[in-house]
Amino acid sequence: MEEEKSNQRGNTVGLVPRRALGRTGMQVSALALGGYHLGSAKNQQEVNDIVARAMEAGVNFFDNAWDYHSGHSESVLGTALKGKRQQVIVMSKVCTHGRGKDLALQQLEESLRRLQTDYLDLWQIHEVIYENDPDLIFRSDGVAEALVKAKQQGKVRAVGFTGHKDPKIHLRMLNFDFPFDTVQMPLNCLDATFRSFEVNVLPVAEQRGLGVLGMKSMGGSGEIVTHGAATPEQALRYAMSLPVSSTISGVDSIQVLDQNLEVAREFRAMPPGEMEALRKRCSRFASDGRYELFKVTKKYDGDVGREQHGFPLAEELPA
Amino acid sequence: MQVHSDIPLRQFGNKDVRISALGLGGHHLGDAADEVTAMRIVQEAVDGGITFFDNCWEYNLGKSENWLGKGLKGRRDKVFLMTKVCTHGRDASLAMQMLEQSLNRLQTDHLDLWQIHGVAFDNDPDLFIRPDGGAEALMKAKEQGKVRFVGFSGHKHPDIHLKMLNTGFPFDSVQMPLNVFDSQFQSFENHVLPELARRGIAALGMKPISGHGEPVSRGVITAQEALRYAMSLPVATTITGIDSLEVLHQNLAIAQGFAPMSQQEMQALRDRVKPEAGDGRFELYKVSLKFDNPESRLAHDFPIDMRQAETKEMMQAAKNTGHPYPR
Repeated sequence: MEEEKSNQRGNTVGLVPRRALGRTGMQVSALALGGYHLGSAKNQQEVNDIVARAMEAGVNFFDNAWDYHSGHSESVLGTALKGKRQQVIVMSKVCTHGRGKDLALQQLEESLRRLQTDYLDLWQIHEVIYENDPDLIFRSDGVAEALVKAKQQGKVRAVGFTGHKDPKIHLRMLNFDFPFDTVQMPLNCLDATFRSFEVNVLPVAEQRGLGVLGMKSMGGSGEIVTHGAATPEQALRYAMSLPVSSTISGVDSIQVLDQNLEVAREFRAMPPGEMEALRKRCSRFASDGRYELFKVTKKYDGDVGREQHGFPLAEELPA
Repeated sequence: MQVHSDIPLRQFGNKDVRISALGLGGHHLGDAADEVTAMRIVQEAVDGGITFFDNCWEYNLGKSENWLGKGLKGRRDKVFLMTKVCTHGRDASLAMQMLEQSLNRLQTDHLDLWQIHGVAFDNDPDLFIRPDGGAEALMKAKEQGKVRFVGFSGHKHPDIHLKMLNTGFPFDSVQMPLNVFDSQFQSFENHVLPELARRGIAALGMKPISGHGEPVSRGVITAQEALRYAMSLPVATTITGIDSLEVLHQNLAIAQGFAPMSQQEMQALRDRVKPEAGDGRFELYKVSLKFDNPESRLAHDFPIDMRQAETKEMMQAAKNTGHPYPR
């Protein structure tokens, strides 16, 4: 451990910087590797290569969720992290979507098994996107109780929640005054002027000292970039320049990883004036949610949650 | 058998005009088995006391307006005819062009009501009121005598409706989804209806059974309960989709001699469906793209769905079927 640290210190050139994860005492890389897209990589070898290369560049934070690719994402990450577990911060998410504590703890065991570990550094409630989710989460015997228990049992070090739909739902979650350590949300240069998590949730999370995790820096599937609203560099730099602990970015190939690392290595924040100019320039693409489809359509809402909420599945209702 | 036209008539906002409490939806008309069926639906609806006819430039890519126009032949003067314009933020000149197309398809020289369709995107109110936007087209069409009244319609969010009202444009009518599920989820009933009453604007309800009737087919509510609830709200009319004579007869039976639900009955129904209302599962028009037509999606650069009726019609248009006229 000590030797490894000094190696890093001696060789910080070109490394992704580390930041405090709220008040957890953990230090996470400013760029995190998104778990969903890892499950879309060609094969295990490619995942191994992506993970190894990311770690060489200083990335130590790995995202995942119980339902990503029906468990495949956790499994390939677990395999890729073999022998490296102590060097990284591993997060996964629980997908009860209104169901009870016991199921949550069962999913935790499954996540641990797939990830080949006996603890998670961070365990979050996944996809808090339906208006009645906060009530379901905090009902008696709900998933919130599972977070407390898992922490007591030492199976998770920190807990949080995530969602991509509406800042109002995030604020309702925070109003329950549960001791969350982290909160995850979409943060990008279009969000700033449309149903904005940056404007409405980020300051509240900061004020409470929560670790903030940004996601969907390019719109979820690169919509912001492929439609020409911003370049990949601008989009990622903007997101990483916000007051967040880390920006989770989906990577399913070495090529995409390198594109991200180019921005994240020796990261320098955008000056406020440049951020303002980008927000302003992007606002015309932001005002109807066209490139933030996760806010205004069903496209990014997973089947596990749809099923629990009585919605048609993705195959029947793609967006 | 003698048919009595005893569907109640209600005042159209603060105007000196009365329309039937049940309106015939234009989209489902285009889903009828064939043109002859659609024409019979229209004719029997008029004879049964329905005077309010809904339609839209983009429904089934014109088929809905065409079939309604044919069905209304010889009956035009007995009805209050509405259609909608689909600029979705684009220019006034495009709106005027669409109006001519609608009039041609509906075989008439004027509309009783012309509404902006699909006000469903957060920036639609800004695009509507901008110079050279939809607002100018509505004024111009009224001045030219091509339309008597103007309004707008949308199914997405009450805040967007309120933003439209706050542009200050003199709307005569506003259309919105009104059903028992709406009463407790992003509610038009709670947030928009009272504002319309204050302003004397005609409220037009739609989606009384939630669009495609999912809560009915899943046994959460009966069609009769759903329609009665919607019609009991303070609206000028409730527009309901009818794609067969069977559904027409069913709805006529409810509407003829309609007696509104009591406040207690309405509250009991709200309470009963509460568990299914809180996440929008039966109001997909609010939380998904499902009810957003390709015309609106393309204007806003949203992805289209190949399975939608309008998208299929668009794709069909590229095929040479060898027929001189669509069959």
